[in-house]
Amino acid sequence: MKTSEQHRQLVKKLLDAKAVDFAAIGKIVAEVGPSLSLADEPGDWFCGTNRIFFHVYRVFNPGLPVEDLGELAAKAQELQR
Amino acid sequence: MKRNPADKMSGKWEESDLVRRACHALDIAKLTVEQFAANGYVHSTDPAKNVRSEKVLSETAILVLHASSIDFYPDVRTRIASLAEYLIPFARSERTLLGLCLEPSLAWDYALPHVCLTRLGYGDAQFDELLSRSVRSSAHAGRERVPHRVLEQEWLARGWNETKGARAITHSRAARASILSRPLDLFGGTRDDIYAFTHALMYVTDFNLRPAPLPRPRPMILGEAEAALSRSVDDQDYDLAGEVLLSWPLTGKSWSASATFAFRVLARVEDKAGFLPTPSTRIAELDALDGPQRKQLLLATVYHTAYVMGLLCVASLRPGFAPPMSVPMTASKCGSAKKILAAIDLDSPSAHWQEEFQELTAAEADSLAGFLINVGLHRRIAKRDFRGVRQLLELAWELDLANTPAASQSAQLLDRIGTLAKFKENARCGPPRDQSPLAAIT
Repeated sequence: MKTSEQHRQLVKKLLDAKAVDFAAIGKIVAEVGPSLSLADEPGDWFCGTNRIFFHVYRVFNPGLPVEDLGELAAKAQELQR
Repeated sequence: MKRNPADKMSGKWEESDLVRRACHALDIAKLTVEQFAANGYVHSTDPAKNVRSEKVLSETAILVLHASSIDFYPDVRTRIASLAEYLIPFARSERTLLGLCLEPSLAWDYALPHVCLTRLGYGDAQFDELLSRSVRSSAHAGRERVPHRVLEQEWLARGWNETKGARAITHSRAARASILSRPLDLFGGTRDDIYAFTHALMYVTDFNLRPAPLPRPRPMILGEAEAALSRSVDDQDYDLAGEVLLSWPLTGKSWSASATFAFRVLARVEDKAGFLPTPSTRIAELDALDGPQRKQLLLATVYHTAYVMGLLCVASLRPGFAPPMSVPMTASKCGSAKKILAAIDLDSPSAHWQEEFQELTAAEADSLAGFLINVGLHRRIAKRDFRGVRQLLELAWELDLANTPAASQSAQLLDRIGTLAKFKENARCGPPRDQSPLAAIT
């Protein structure tokens, strides 16, 4: 089966199932809290065994919105020779 | 969502514009190495913003090596030569040579700039001798690395060995062990997971200089890249978006509607800001400084994404690899975009891509229906709005857009969540007669 058809079939299987109890799901999510994600832990957290010398072509994102583009453009002038 | 069709340009993105952007990135690279090659960047109060000199040197060397694939442009060629010669003393400094000796398991990391320079024709026999002794030592592989970092090591070794006349390695076990060989976790994964994907692709393709075979077919890899791209463009995470966009020109000549649109968004944002921005550049922080400190902080937060845009434009300048100027038409149903936009909340937060979207014709907007579905799924899952996810999947099914990795992973997520809800209900009310996970959901 082509990959795209496999994706369709998975969606169809879900949609054909009876409706999910979203109220119950909402309760679970509220109980556990918004800060569940283990994925948010920095780096690997098992004794720091996967220490990295430096990260090539990777930057930390502080999770803030990008500043106003016009104001950034004014600052960019300072990079001109 | 309208634009005068007469204003639409046909064909590929303007070559001169891509060259201009590539040169802009190389100019920023020159500024960056002049400031940070010797000692890196040290922030006065926030160590998280420090940048090691080795990182700057390595990233610059990679940009220059990749740019060598388009050195038939004189403006690019002169910048490559200028940067390469500037990098040489830092790439082979005493500090680096000592690092080779003391930490053989980091030999390739230390040698990255040297390897890139050697591939450009700027060799050094003494460095090669020390590097050879280091990578042949019994300790040279004594550090565990995740697959995409193993790929990086392999890429460096392969590139260096080829300059010595060795035959190219055509298949990589590390590539088969990497994230390129299996589906990304599109909604539970982190930025680091997407970076693993983008970096693995860079190393396997060798920036199109001497590409090795992909471990999975291009359409499968790009199907996941589409979802990662929608997420990063909507998050205005342009560093990540730029790297994900590389997936297209690094693997082939065709660009999807979403990738074409995303390139336009990044180009527009770069034009407005003067560089491709990241959230790390904070106006208030810059305004609190003056003189050299201010310029250094600006450069330290700006250079990386500028390099990524440079990599993207260089890749797009290979003959035939440029993105289309207009969003390609797809088989999306007429009116798809309007239906999806009505179903998803785009008011908060508003992203730069929405401005570009407003200028599209209705047909172009419909071609981006898949992009809109991906944005909607990402936003709703992030908010844990699972009812909204199901509604969106129903719409995707209706619009014949459910044939994507994002749609199927969303469906599987709902199935797991629904199963958990049922287990909780059973615990409250007692076990059901029918134990089938899917059938018991009500």
